[in-house]
Parts: sequence; structure tokens; C-alpha cells
Amino acid sequence: MTDRVAERPLTHLPSTPSGPANLADILERVLDKGIVIAGDIKIDLLDIELLTIRLRLFVASVETARKAGIDWWETDPALSTRAHRDAVDEENKRLRERVAELEAGTEDEPRRRGRTGWESVRKGRD
Amino acid sequence: MAGAAPPGAPATTATYVYAVCRGGDESALAGLRGQAPGSPVRLLRFGGLAAVVQDVPAAEFGEDALRERLTDRTELERCARAHHAVIAAAAGVAPVLPFPLATIYRGDARAEAALGADRARLTAALRRIAGRAEWGVKVYARQADRRTAPAADKPERPDRARVAARPGHAYLDRLRGLRHERESRQEAGLQAVEEVDRSFARLAVAARRLRPHDTGLTPGRGAHLLNAAYLVDEARGDEVADAVRRLRRSPECRDVEIELTGPWVPYSFVEAGVTGAGG
Repeated sequence: MTDRVAERPLTHLPSTPSGPANLADILERVLDKGIVIAGDIKIDLLDIELLTIRLRLFVASVETARKAGIDWWETDPALSTRAHRDAVDEENKRLRERVAELEAGTEDEPRRRGRTGWESVRKGRD
Repeated sequence: MAGAAPPGAPATTATYVYAVCRGGDESALAGLRGQAPGSPVRLLRFGGLAAVVQDVPAAEFGEDALRERLTDRTELERCARAHHAVIAAAAGVAPVLPFPLATIYRGDARAEAALGADRARLTAALRRIAGRAEWGVKVYARQADRRTAPAADKPERPDRARVAARPGHAYLDRLRGLRHERESRQEAGLQAVEEVDRSFARLAVAARRLRPHDTGLTPGRGAHLLNAAYLVDEARGDEVADAVRRLRRSPECRDVEIELTGPWVPYSFVEAGVTGAGG
């Protein structure tokens, strides 16, 4: 039975950037935990967190995808910034149309740029 | 140095904050590459505390540039590991309060002002985690071929004569058997998780559930049943591995795999309200 202690004692550094700790373990801590104080540069770690979910899937299935000749890295909204922006624009457009349809007052307009679908993903994960 | 740019001119460097610690020792940070190789990781003292900081090129750490970079898998991994390595190094010599990735200010003066304004909260959080470490405990369902379910729980072997006579019934029997097996497996998984959590609750001063990972993440692994973090006094660190060994032998945990990681800097316990018993 293996005792997988993925990190060395605090007094020992991981010697290389690809140190012993599992990437997923590090990501879930450095993206999602730690004490939050507003910085001057605003990075939405929610975006990055979502990326890591895709990343996990990617890690698991990159070989499969490659074998099948699928290059979805380029078109996955969470993995490609350009594709991400296109997707956001697209969703914004859809939402604006929907809001117009619903006529003012009956439903709150989504305040964050087209994130409604993502918000529900996030809620479901916590 | 950041903050030294003449007024009006855009600063060429920004101040990246890794963590806040009490005391601290700059020599423990020597040689760390951090987010900007070539620029030393240093301490920025403020109001009795010290921030672990580094000057980073403002152009690479602006909002758009950074978002773009973190969207790249390789770059994200490099940044995350670099961030973690600096925090781990600082934690070797002093209690450290880790910051999430990418807390960045336009110069030291801005960083000092923001951190100084939150000094009370930082001090309280440091007190909560000083002398304690975080341990990660994950429980996975054991995969079918490695399970040790007692024979009675296994679906009955199809009786060949019966299959031949009543193929429809045999099919339904098999479905029932599979459903029964699935239910008892889920029940066993829940019991294992409860047993693990109970054992660690006795050791830890606080506990936190993290999100289970995607099952597709680790090929060769069953469903991820528990992803938890426990805050444990450093003096009881040895008991952690003992607890895991004991759990692995317990009947409740027969059909699960238990993985232990740590000790970690207490990332999951720095915010008020997340601590349990010992809060």
C-alpha cells in the first residue's frame, strides 16, 4: 500500500517547478483558497477556475482527443481567450434578445457578462 | 523598485504579493524564481507584519496580459507552481498566510496601503493558522476489479438452464442484481467517508470540504467520494499518517482508496468562518 504524501514537509522546498505536488491539488488551493485582499489588477479567478475544470478533463482525455484528431483546445471557451470572448459575445447577444423578449421588469437582467450558465456550474460544484 | 516611477509615468514594474507572514527571513527566499526570474523575492515590512513580494513586469501582469497567459495550460501550471513554491519556502521559517494567485499592486506603496488597511484581519488569520498545517485527504471508490466485496454481495451467477428456459427473467434478475450491487457500493462509500471524516475530526482543529475532482481526472481511479482538508496542530503531524494507516485497515474502508497529501501551508483555513471546532 502506497503512502502518497504528495508534498514534502514545509521546511523542504519542491526542488523544481514540477515539484512533487499534484497540479490539481495546487490549483484548487492557489485559485480557490488563500486570503483574499483586493489588488490593483483584477483577475477573475472564476474564469481560471473554470479553466482548471476543463484542464482536468483535458489531462484525462488529451490522448483520446489526439487519437481522434480532435483539436478542441482551440475552440473550447475556457481554454482559448479568443474563443472565450467570441462565446461571451455570442451569449451576450442571445441574452439581450431574451431580455427584450421578456419585456422590462419581469426578470433581472444578468449582471455579469453572460455568465448565467457558468454560475449554475459553480453553484453545483460547491 | 516598484513605486519608484516618477509621478505620471506608467510604472514598469508591479508588486506581486505571495503571502503575509509574521517575522520572516529574507534569506529563506534567496534564489527563488517566483513569477519573474531575475527579480528577487523579498519582504515588504508593514505594521509589524511582512509581505512576501516580488517586482514583476507591469506589462506582463496587466489584466489582459495575465488573463491571456493564465489561459495557457503550461503557463498556468508554471505560475501556480511558482506561486506555491514561494509560499512553501516562506512557510519554512515563519507562519505564513497564503494569498491566492495574482494579487498585484501598482507598486509597493499601494501594496502597503491595502495590506495595512486589512492588518487586523491578517493578524487574526495568522493567529488561527500559526503552528498548524493543512492535510488533504481524498477518498476514492475502489474500481470494480480491485474490490473485495464479500461473495454474498455479488450478483448471482446466471443458472444456464434457467437462462435457456426463461431468458427474459434471467435478464431482469441480472438488472436487479446490478442495481443492488450499485446501491450497496454507494452505501459502503458513504460509510467509508463518514469513518474517515470522524477519525480526522478527532485530530483536527478545523475541517473543510473541497470539491471532489472529476472522475475522469485520474485514470484508473474510481469515483472521488471525498476531498477534504483538515487543519492539524504541527505537534500532532505524526498522528496523521497513523490515522490513515488505521483507516486503510478498517472494515468500513475496505472498498475505497485513501490518499493523503501534506503538510500544506493552510491555504484552506485562512478565511474567517471556514474553521470548525478550533476556529
